Amino acid sequence: MPLHDVGYRGWTGRRRGPGHAVGVIMTTGIRLAWTSRWLRRALLFAWSPALFFAASFFAFEQAIDEGRLSSMREGARMGRNLDGVGMLGTVLAETLGRQSSSDAPKTEEEEISQTRRLVWSRLLLAFVRAPQAVLLAVVVGLVAPALISRDLRAKAWLVYFTRPVSRLEYILGKGLVLAVIIAGITMLPGLALWLIGVLVSPSVWVAVATWDLPLKVIASSLVLMVPTALLALAYSSLTAESRIASFAWFATWAACWIAHSSLTTADMMAAANDPAAQMDRETTGSLWGDVDAALGGVDRPPPQKVRWFARAAGLDSTIDPWAWISPYHSLGVMQGWIFGIERRPQAILPPLIALVTLSVVSIVILWRRVDAPARA
Amino acid sequence: MQASDAAPVVVDGVVKRYGRRTVLDQVSLVVPPGITGLVGPNGAGKSTLVRAILGLVRLAAGSVRVCGLDPVADPRQVRQLVGVVPEDECTVPGLAAVEMVRYAARLSGFPATEALRRAHEVLDWCDAGQERYRPVETLSVGMRQKVAFAAAIVHDPRLVILDEPTNGLDPIERRAMLGRLETLAHRHGKTVFVSTHVLPDVEAICDHVIVLAAGRVRLAGSITALTRPAAAETRLEATGPLEEFAARLRQAGLAARVADPRGIVFPTPTAAGIAMVWQAAAAAGVEVSSLAGTHRPLEEVFLQAIAAAEEPDHAAA
Repeated sequence: MPLHDVGYRGWTGRRRGPGHAVGVIMTTGIRLAWTSRWLRRALLFAWSPALFFAASFFAFEQAIDEGRLSSMREGARMGRNLDGVGMLGTVLAETLGRQSSSDAPKTEEEEISQTRRLVWSRLLLAFVRAPQAVLLAVVVGLVAPALISRDLRAKAWLVYFTRPVSRLEYILGKGLVLAVIIAGITMLPGLALWLIGVLVSPSVWVAVATWDLPLKVIASSLVLMVPTALLALAYSSLTAESRIASFAWFATWAACWIAHSSLTTADMMAAANDPAAQMDRETTGSLWGDVDAALGGVDRPPPQKVRWFARAAGLDSTIDPWAWISPYHSLGVMQGWIFGIERRPQAILPPLIALVTLSVVSIVILWRRVDAPARA
Repeated sequence: MQASDAAPVVVDGVVKRYGRRTVLDQVSLVVPPGITGLVGPNGAGKSTLVRAILGLVRLAAGSVRVCGLDPVADPRQVRQLVGVVPEDECTVPGLAAVEMVRYAARLSGFPATEALRRAHEVLDWCDAGQERYRPVETLSVGMRQKVAFAAAIVHDPRLVILDEPTNGLDPIERRAMLGRLETLAHRHGKTVFVSTHVLPDVEAICDHVIVLAAGRVRLAGSITALTRPAAAETRLEATGPLEEFAARLRQAGLAARVADPRGIVFPTPTAAGIAMVWQAAAAAGVEVSSLAGTHRPLEEVFLQAIAAAEEPDHAAA
């Protein structure tokens, strides 16, 4: 017998109470997921869009610092590329276009503060909505499918359910694995962007003036987290083959996106042939209406490369009637609501109902499936 | 509710159905302290009974108590008291063996550092060696069985339930595993409940046995009582002319018979009768090597119980 073998000994120490298992499952899940080289690469890549947005923050704050807001406004009106990627000009043009005479700032300080707030909100919304939401779908597709299906395949559910671990703790633990990873893609870079904005601004008091933006970043990340994590875990719980869960996850996003695009295109084609709809479109505004107006009535669309950005930044004033059909677009509408850009109930309610339904169905599936083998 | 010193497991009138199939039919049993073997043919309901004890399945009728606690009402407390080695290999892929055992300890509420210390301690006791640093999915079947056992006892449970614990073990490891179970039960006061097909394992270590067949308890009791023959008999093992020795005993009024080339069997005599046996042995010139009460092989007891269970089915057919 080796010297260090003390034989079997009893243990009388104090045990942690309920809820402790959630943290244990989460940390172990993250550690196991982190062993994937693809995940590490994807997470690293997920921070790259933040560099472009940081450039926009820097360009905007530099212009303010140098007292060039007026010239920047002019540049935006002329459709100049202000930050190298065209995002800032689009946001600024739209922001200035929305400022009506009634809420026009009285002093230059107020004007700067108000413009900064609008520009930062648009930039942060665009960041969490467009590149990060897409990257989130990819990263969750890499991690989530194995989280429960691997336990089913290796019969590891017995490891949990023969110990003082409840179904709720198990689901929360697994869900938090995804939540932490999603936070690493959306919340942390979003907060880092805000911090960069503060650091490159003329005064640290900007942090006080924009105090609510970090909270909005956190809230919009939570909106991304909850339905996506639940759906991904529900798929994972339905099969012992993680490849099938992975396929289902990507197929859902792709199919819903294609369905949304097809229906939107069909609507646009129908509207183009319908004079009444055309008139309605002219009165309610179009995708590029505000931008065009802000560009000084110049009758030309924004550059192709910033169209995605205009849409992601909430510059599209038309209501997307098919947003509810696609998780990506539904999440975008909800994030727009959180950032205070979309406030119309008819735009918010259908995606909200769709996401709540999706989450509830996912919870029901998860609740029934996670310990189903134990009951079989 | 607190765990009491009541019998470790009390199962009372448990009925479990899957659809129309009744897997456990009015099962009532008591698992006393010590080592209890649960034996039965495939499909007898052993695994379902284990799950019922853990509160994992919903029962159609009846109740289960583990150390006085209801596993359905107090699953958390019951699972703190129970360690389970399932028949199915159950590991978390990607974790090393020691991480797996540590994970099990942490899920049972151990602080991180203490969980690691304890994981190494039980793996040392299970003779896991340096294999503990390899991912569990790369381990041999026997080593995985050790890891599963270590994970089951890492939180120092009061009741250890094992489903086919010697599956995949070589004879040396099998003996070592049975020795560990005996140590747990007899030196550390744990109750060990072993579900197995391997009757020699049960015979070797169990104090009690329960025979489950077709969802019903067919036989339950201590090994000594169940394997005791209908009439008390003594077996004498010796070398020499056994036939002559038996004839001398019969002449002395003891109904002895040669059971096999190495021994004879006769009704257990009185103290005076024993003296007569020694005299007859000396007279016949046989060299006695052992003298002990006989018992029925457990396999015979088991087969009889199973045959009795099948009789009503045959009659019905």
